[in-house]
Amino acid sequence: MKALLICPAIRPAVPQLSEEGPLATTPILGECLVGYWIEHLAALGALRVQVVVADRAESVRTALGDGARWGVQIEVTAVGAEPTAQEAAARFRPADDPDWLAAPNDIVLMNHLPGCPEQPLFESYAGWFGALLAWIPRALTLGRVRVSEVRPGIWVGRRAHVAPTAELIAPCWIGDQVFVEPGAIIGPGAVLEDRSVIAKDARVTLSWVGPDTFVGPMTAIASSLAWGSGLTNWRSESSLRVPDSFLLCSLAPAPAMADGGPSARAARTVGAPARGAAVPRNWIGEWPESTRHAPNSNPST
Amino acid sequence: MAGVDPPRAEFQSVDLTNPFSEMKIENQGECLSISEITELTAVNSANFRDQVRAILPGSLAVIEIDLGDTRFVDSSGLGALFAVYRAATQCDGLILRLLNPRPEIQQLLELTQMQQLFEIVQR
Repeated sequence: MKALLICPAIRPAVPQLSEEGPLATTPILGECLVGYWIEHLAALGALRVQVVVADRAESVRTALGDGARWGVQIEVTAVGAEPTAQEAAARFRPADDPDWLAAPNDIVLMNHLPGCPEQPLFESYAGWFGALLAWIPRALTLGRVRVSEVRPGIWVGRRAHVAPTAELIAPCWIGDQVFVEPGAIIGPGAVLEDRSVIAKDARVTLSWVGPDTFVGPMTAIASSLAWGSGLTNWRSESSLRVPDSFLLCSLAPAPAMADGGPSARAARTVGAPARGAAVPRNWIGEWPESTRHAPNSNPST
Repeated sequence: MAGVDPPRAEFQSVDLTNPFSEMKIENQGECLSISEITELTAVNSANFRDQVRAILPGSLAVIEIDLGDTRFVDSSGLGALFAVYRAATQCDGLILRLLNPRPEIQQLLELTQMQQLFEIVQR
């Protein structure tokens, strides 16, 4: 059986979500949107999935690989502009080929999460965040074992570190390899994506913190999306680039770091002190093993 | 320096000019009004802080800092605002208001929880 996925191109209502990569690979509770869709289609019996991409196709190709992870064969096709479902059908689906999933799963424009067409993702930041919270109970599909529900409404990654004095308030999602320092308050309605760091006494409420994001000590993220140094209030849709890295910054290596050229070495030299200042001193390794979160235990004792 | 009062000055209308920004400080009797702050950064925050603190305590009842023209504030600017707040809290009954902050400045105040310190008014 075959299926076709149309990746959304840039949406003007949510520009921050496509700053780091195409919308199809935007992280949602530790997985990307296109990943959820391929898992959904594979569960319906799809063996071949064609992914049509108008924005940064190489990033989508890298994120998906060959599809072996889902047991499907994936073909990523780059196009100049995002097609409608009708245009995609006319162009990519032969009329005489019966070997396709039944509608509406044969050709899908990924504007929403699987099974949630009533919650569009990219019409506003508020809509995106609402869809995210609604998706939390459904995010733990069978193939995902790195996050577990440790208390009703509280999901914590198995390799997350949560300080004993941190407070977790349901509903909240703490992704894999997240670090929550003492005194931090997470929730209600908080999503911390993988590898984010919440420093001492910080508070995250009704907000989404993107992957590899450092939230500084005693800061308060409320009704916002924080990713790298970008901060967007999903109620007012106001956006801010936070100028000081000790308040909010990205911990992901800059693209220049990826190669080994002179510019990369210079960037490392310049960036090292700043990163050292931003990352908490008790970063991995200095906390006693007993404070690490163990599966099926209460992380906020 | 303990026990020594900070220097005091009376300004009727003072324009503080530096290569990067300008701000206007007007003392209107009981109200000190600070406006035309295009940015509050490491460049001008010390100047801003020192000028305002020099006027305190005087006979002021209200300090109004108009951030309507302010496009950029960094941690130095936040520090200057906090320094003014601390100086103001030492004066009984002195009200400190931030006027018309842009949404992104309001976000920064909320991120640092400084919105709890100030009376923020949109006019």
